Amino acid sequence: MSRITVFESKKIITMDRNCPEATHVAVQDGRILAVGSADCADQWGSVRHDSSLADAVLMPGFVEGHAHMMAGAIWDYAYAGYHDRIDPDGQLWPGRRTIEAVVAGLAEVAATLPAGAPLIGWGFDPIFLRDERLNRTHLDRIGADRPVVILFSNFHLLCANSVALEMAGFDSSTNLEGVVKGTDGNPTGELQEMAAMFPIMRRLGIDFRSISQRESSIRSYAKVANRVGVTTVTDLFSEMQDDDLDVMLRVTGAPDFPLRIVPALGAMGATPDEIAARALTLRGLSTDKLRLGAVKLMTDGSIQGWTARVKWPGYVGGQPNGIWNLAPDQIHALCAAMQAAGVQMHIHVNGDQASEIAIDAIEAAIRSHPWAGHRHVLQHGQMMGDDQFRRCAELGIAVNLFANHIWYFGDQHAALTIGEDRARRMDAVRSALDAGVHVAVHSDAPVTPLGPLFTAWCAVNRQTMTGRTLGTAQCVSVPEALFAITLGAAYTLKLDGEIGSVETGKRADFAVLGDDPLAVDPAGLRDVPVLGTVFGGAVHLP
Amino acid sequence: MTLPPLPLTVIAGYLGAGKTTLINRLLAEDHGLKLLVMVNDFGAINIDAELLASADEDTIALTNGCVCCTMWADLFMAMGDALDRRPRPDHLIVEASGVADPARIANASIAEPEMTYAGIVTVVDGQAFESLSRDELVGPQICGQVSQSDLILVSKTMSLDPGFADTLNELSNAPVLLIEGAENLAALILGSIERTGPGVPKTAHPTHVSWSYTGDTRLNRKEIEFCLQHRPTGLFRLKGTIADHDSGFWEIHVVGDRVTISETASSSGTKLVGIGLKARTSSAEIENWWGMAIKKRPPRSSKVRRD
Repeated sequence: MSRITVFESKKIITMDRNCPEATHVAVQDGRILAVGSADCADQWGSVRHDSSLADAVLMPGFVEGHAHMMAGAIWDYAYAGYHDRIDPDGQLWPGRRTIEAVVAGLAEVAATLPAGAPLIGWGFDPIFLRDERLNRTHLDRIGADRPVVILFSNFHLLCANSVALEMAGFDSSTNLEGVVKGTDGNPTGELQEMAAMFPIMRRLGIDFRSISQRESSIRSYAKVANRVGVTTVTDLFSEMQDDDLDVMLRVTGAPDFPLRIVPALGAMGATPDEIAARALTLRGLSTDKLRLGAVKLMTDGSIQGWTARVKWPGYVGGQPNGIWNLAPDQIHALCAAMQAAGVQMHIHVNGDQASEIAIDAIEAAIRSHPWAGHRHVLQHGQMMGDDQFRRCAELGIAVNLFANHIWYFGDQHAALTIGEDRARRMDAVRSALDAGVHVAVHSDAPVTPLGPLFTAWCAVNRQTMTGRTLGTAQCVSVPEALFAITLGAAYTLKLDGEIGSVETGKRADFAVLGDDPLAVDPAGLRDVPVLGTVFGGAVHLP
Repeated sequence: MTLPPLPLTVIAGYLGAGKTTLINRLLAEDHGLKLLVMVNDFGAINIDAELLASADEDTIALTNGCVCCTMWADLFMAMGDALDRRPRPDHLIVEASGVADPARIANASIAEPEMTYAGIVTVVDGQAFESLSRDELVGPQICGQVSQSDLILVSKTMSLDPGFADTLNELSNAPVLLIEGAENLAALILGSIERTGPGVPKTAHPTHVSWSYTGDTRLNRKEIEFCLQHRPTGLFRLKGTIADHDSGFWEIHVVGDRVTISETASSSGTKLVGIGLKARTSSAEIENWWGMAIKKRPPRSSKVRRD
């Protein structure tokens, strides 16, 4: 049999300017040999034609530049969120629009569990259900004879039932800020922040790192990615302990594992030099499907939690400015050390003061340690203005903007956090492109669902949950948005020489679509069906 | 077998304040405790060759039984691992990062039944603090570390300027000590007096006094609460058990302003150990307070505490 396979499709959107559209792509040894029409590879020898994708539209495999491995593992738990969501096996979990619906939904799951086994839910967001606060009596109705815990969507809060509270020893005598109490003096079940959640999570074995590093979790992540056309995905704050690495290498190394994972080492709990050394060690262990060596810096918090560091005039409700997870001095020290060692950084910056400090720090690091190809990436960059994008362009800094926020939290930002003017220019993809910055857009899954076409739709339409358009001046075209979820994101991972376009020499990674995203109404971009992926020339349709 | 709960001390302070220097001292001091210390700056941990048992990339074991390690990115996971260690360490020390909110860490020891709160110690740089506290970017977080602390240690200065003392007192009513010249810091920070015994330790510049009681005093919860409300302001730590009038026992933990009274099943009687700041109290004052307390009436000399 020929080693060359020519896939026929309805259309290939290549993202390669030399051949923007094609119908056929030839694959050999997992790479793209030729692109064009049915005869594109004939000069290379005998070919085998594959028409199994003849009715599909192909694009370069999507690249998610900011997501977390937990997007797979979290499905070990029962979804209890407001929006519809699809699990790794394709099952739809309908959004729970009332507390009663949350109780009813989880009670169904409880009925399938062995007696006494804990039930853990996730994804609940009180911002959408404001009439009543979820409490332990609701959860006792889900299960009075087993621990029941619901993790909130931000993972900073949870609600526990009476059995779980008792396991942790929480009662009326507990005197701790994060253990919320009712008028009767007893815990309501709501636990705020890690310190208060810790005893329950420890006793129920809820450990985000270990659930994320199980073999099954990594495979779940691949399934989630496969369903939305993603062939390269990040894990953007990884502990990367030695044991984790062994598991990751084994799972991703399997020939049928259809995903390239790019973890970034969390830069915390050690000195800049130690972190840089570790990143370099990890880089040396990279394989095709596991790309190590970058680091992730957490600078500030989140805008909707009022913990992002914002410039004047601050938050509209008069809340105090947010918090630094790293002091500006530490950001400078880390940037200097990473730049000196040649380690690429992904820097979490939500507020505009955080992005400003990060740009300052990179600029200083560049002056001390010239390295033109650093491609450090500001992640989220939600409040960056034109001035900051111009500086990024000057300094070679890329951005990965949180377009999904516009739909999920845009209304809240206009009304409650930073006000109308700055909400209109949030996640300013247009400004960034016009300034000449390399741009990606992202989901931050599992914070919002993984789905690059949805993310692209957000960047194009900037529509919020209430249906308004938040900042028409920042809308981008469909081709620009598609670029951001392919080559744009690949650039931020320094993988644009290998992936991101359907182009001779690159990896044969494709998103398999049921419709043409360039032909549909831009308002319907998010509804373009994703049938699966091709990874390294192997077809993976779920 | 139930293990004794693991006490947690959080050491906070801005970058360069002197947290690591303090940790180096605690690791080397003769306190008789097997410490587990989790630090941010592993490379700066400086252990005498004589004390060094073994070292690898992210753990140092000492011949005195102490262990020092990096925590990497997930502090709470590291804390869970510390609890799962066998044998369990006698005391856990966490070095908070430069802008960390130490209460968010220390609260875990209040929430977790297998841990006890042993306090927040904030190290402030005597030279840099005043200007840092006014810094637009980090000032509020730095001041927050001081206001959450049970004990403030001032580094890089030989004497405390009155204006600086006022700045700190506005933020916190925690006692302030100069690190320079202070000895036996482990007693205040860890509550260990095993090696020195009660009384004023026989060192050149003691910072603390200690006191202990073993006897057949019995108090109920209300009586204990009353008695602790009137404790001497300089009594920084108090721990032990008090027998109730019936068969039960109360476990007492006092660190700075924080008082925890909980029921406990196993105890041999009423046994208490107290540690006070030498500058603020004396063994005699503590003894006097307790003597009054067990007669179940308020002492005349002590002021009522703010809490």
